Amino acid sequence: MAMAYISMGEAHRRITDFLNRFSDAISSQDGASLKPLLAVSSNSPLLFSIADALNVFQDWGRLLKQAERESQQLGEILAPHLRCIQSHRIGRFVDAYVSFEKSANAFLQEFRNWETAWAVEAMYMVAHEIRVLAERADKELSSMGKNPEKLQGAGSFLMKVFGSLAGKGPKRVGALYVTCQLFKVYFKLGTVHLCRSVIRSIETAKIFDFEEFPSRDKVTYMYYTGRLELYNENFIVADQKLTYALVHCNSQYEANLRMILKYLIPVKLSVGILPKMWLLDKYNLTEYTNVVKALRSGDLRLLRQALQDHEDIFLRTGVYLVLEKLELQVYQRLVKKIYIIQKQKDPSKAHQIKLELIVKALTWLEVGMDIDEVECMMAILIYKNLMKGYFAHKSKVVVLSKQDPFPKLKGKPVSS
Amino acid sequence: MEKSRRSLISREPLRSPSIRSPISTAGGGEDLVGTSSSSRGSSPQYESKEPSDSSTLVGTCPDMCPAKERVQRERLRDLAVFERLNGHPRKTSPSLAVKKFCRTLSSNEVCLSDIRPASVLQNTLQYLLSLVDTTGQPFEVVHDFVFDRTRSIRQDLSMQNIVNEQAIQMYEDMVRFHIISQQKLARHHRWAESSPLHHLNLEQLIKCLLSLYEIYEINRRTEFISRNETEFHSLYVLLHLGCKIPLMERSLSLRFRQLSSPILKSKELRFTRTVIRYFRMGDYKRFFDVVAAEASQLQLCLIEPFLNEVRAQAISCINHSGYKLQPYPLKRLSEVLMIKEQELESLCCECGLEIITDELGCKLLPAGQSSFRQPKAELQSYPLSRPEYSPRYQFCSLQIMNGVSFTFEQFSFSN
Repeated sequence: MAMAYISMGEAHRRITDFLNRFSDAISSQDGASLKPLLAVSSNSPLLFSIADALNVFQDWGRLLKQAERESQQLGEILAPHLRCIQSHRIGRFVDAYVSFEKSANAFLQEFRNWETAWAVEAMYMVAHEIRVLAERADKELSSMGKNPEKLQGAGSFLMKVFGSLAGKGPKRVGALYVTCQLFKVYFKLGTVHLCRSVIRSIETAKIFDFEEFPSRDKVTYMYYTGRLELYNENFIVADQKLTYALVHCNSQYEANLRMILKYLIPVKLSVGILPKMWLLDKYNLTEYTNVVKALRSGDLRLLRQALQDHEDIFLRTGVYLVLEKLELQVYQRLVKKIYIIQKQKDPSKAHQIKLELIVKALTWLEVGMDIDEVECMMAILIYKNLMKGYFAHKSKVVVLSKQDPFPKLKGKPVSS
Repeated sequence: MEKSRRSLISREPLRSPSIRSPISTAGGGEDLVGTSSSSRGSSPQYESKEPSDSSTLVGTCPDMCPAKERVQRERLRDLAVFERLNGHPRKTSPSLAVKKFCRTLSSNEVCLSDIRPASVLQNTLQYLLSLVDTTGQPFEVVHDFVFDRTRSIRQDLSMQNIVNEQAIQMYEDMVRFHIISQQKLARHHRWAESSPLHHLNLEQLIKCLLSLYEIYEINRRTEFISRNETEFHSLYVLLHLGCKIPLMERSLSLRFRQLSSPILKSKELRFTRTVIRYFRMGDYKRFFDVVAAEASQLQLCLIEPFLNEVRAQAISCINHSGYKLQPYPLKRLSEVLMIKEQELESLCCECGLEIITDELGCKLLPAGQSSFRQPKAELQSYPLSRPEYSPRYQFCSLQIMNGVSFTFEQFSFSN
């Protein structure tokens, strides 16, 4: 949007108007009115028009004196806020962040004094903005060859906000939103281990009752903590959390559902539950299509191919190692298929499978494994209860139990 | 939702905060591994280097140890055994004294004559590493000295913001030292995994690696890429084998998210990923095959402590899944597990399992024994023994070659 030309009078009017709106919102404790005045990163027409006005009416500091007469703190919030709006408009994101951080800190100081929860929505906006503006600032720093450290600073600020919400009063309902902002920061920075302390606060502190938090925040929280459990391969807990997020996520938000499914599917696969193909198609998660097919058919080559084809996505989302482990289930399926074929030929001998035969089957699948490697694999499958029976080293056969030789996982991960 | 990952091959000069260590703090600081929330304000070791940055210090100390410190330590009798002139506890010389690591140092307090410039640091490092194999002192003593003095070198490097190829070389050599030390400490110490020396060495190894990665990044800007980079990246990944890294960091998936595609797809990372896959699946056959075939010296040093774990797991697996009436020949098993037959027998014994002998005198491991237990943690690591090849990988050593870089030689001990 090009900068509009406006008259000095108009500029003056806009700025005083903004200042009045801001101070009125605070004095009448109207959080909903305050919120849009803080949304710098959204590039709203309102803030654009203010930025234009600030550019024209350069001496706007003078106008603040009036606001400051009412309350010095208000001036400390507004002055850097206006600078931020001005800098952001012309794409100077580092300056914008630095100003916003000043303003946010002043706002937080006041926020601590307000006893009711009227300003919590506005604080959400501040929390959101500081993260987004920090990301933009870091991008700018990187491009200048400097160290991108603003997002880390935003994280520190958010911890302070969290601290102000972690009390017995009504404001505590905002803690989960801020937690989710912190998750986003830590995930982006790669300092995911820092999530631990906030998670501990949310889940163990007596002042918090998880059910009291807004549903939207609970979904986001479960999404992130579910992902963390996935990364740590705690599949049962990951399943619970991600399923919670899925079930409680507003079905309108298809993009969010897709994000949750992206992580839930590998979890489900790890506990032996396969999604239907239409689900993958509907949410465009086709990177998992061949993985699922390979599990259904025992096609080791197909699994490896799928991992190779989508290696970058899987590594980036952090599910690669989880998918890799599915190989064991694919081996199980393959041996089961051989067993079924043998059973059709001669039911009395079906439970004895020559290792050579398995080698042949794998060769046919273009997967080269020698007899020792196959023996090792059979030993592992039995050890991990994916197969029941034993292997005979000298005779080079695997002998399957007559009862339930291929136990299903039934919602539990493969034993380690 | 998903952020664009910082690409390490982007043309933009980049710094990746995501590879900043949560353990290290600025100025070669001293947080212990596993300290929680210690890093809220942690910044990378190296700030952006501008060529005309007048705030960069350049040291002027010509010796391995500043004269002032030499005199002070002589007076206080604070000289390590390697620093004593003719064994005299109060006399040292410029060719023997090496600057100590000082915990409480801050950039404001130092004078330039106390800081050693890059060329001196390089010579100092070479001297220190030459001590590792050539002195008659027990390894723990040597390790302790070199450990401390190399830490001081890193401190001087950091204060002068030296981040060029020279720095890369020095860091790589220090990493090699810590890795060799891991191996030597593991072999010598009864309680390898839990010994404080082992733990401290591991801590410094991790710090060195993470600083090294930052320097690689900085150099990428000027398009210098060390030819060792991918191997050295693989080393930190290999440390995830035994979950030595503090709890939340243990997730390998998270580590992979931080590495760029070219690094993840390099030969060394593919090898490492394969090794870890076999380790996690319990695939002992292919684990040993791939390790024997592809591991570099350094990688093998890091893998070695886990060989027994894999072997014990293999024994447990065979004991569980094998046919009672067809015991497993020990000879064959020792080939698969790349261990000497005698050592395998000891290991089985440590695992509470009996070995029987058949009428031909061959030793066999019967399956289905109920007495299996995990071997004690203090059990010494049996190295990789490949029956087809005669030279065994024993200790790796550091030796100066051409006075510039270090190479390794393995030498076997006679039995």
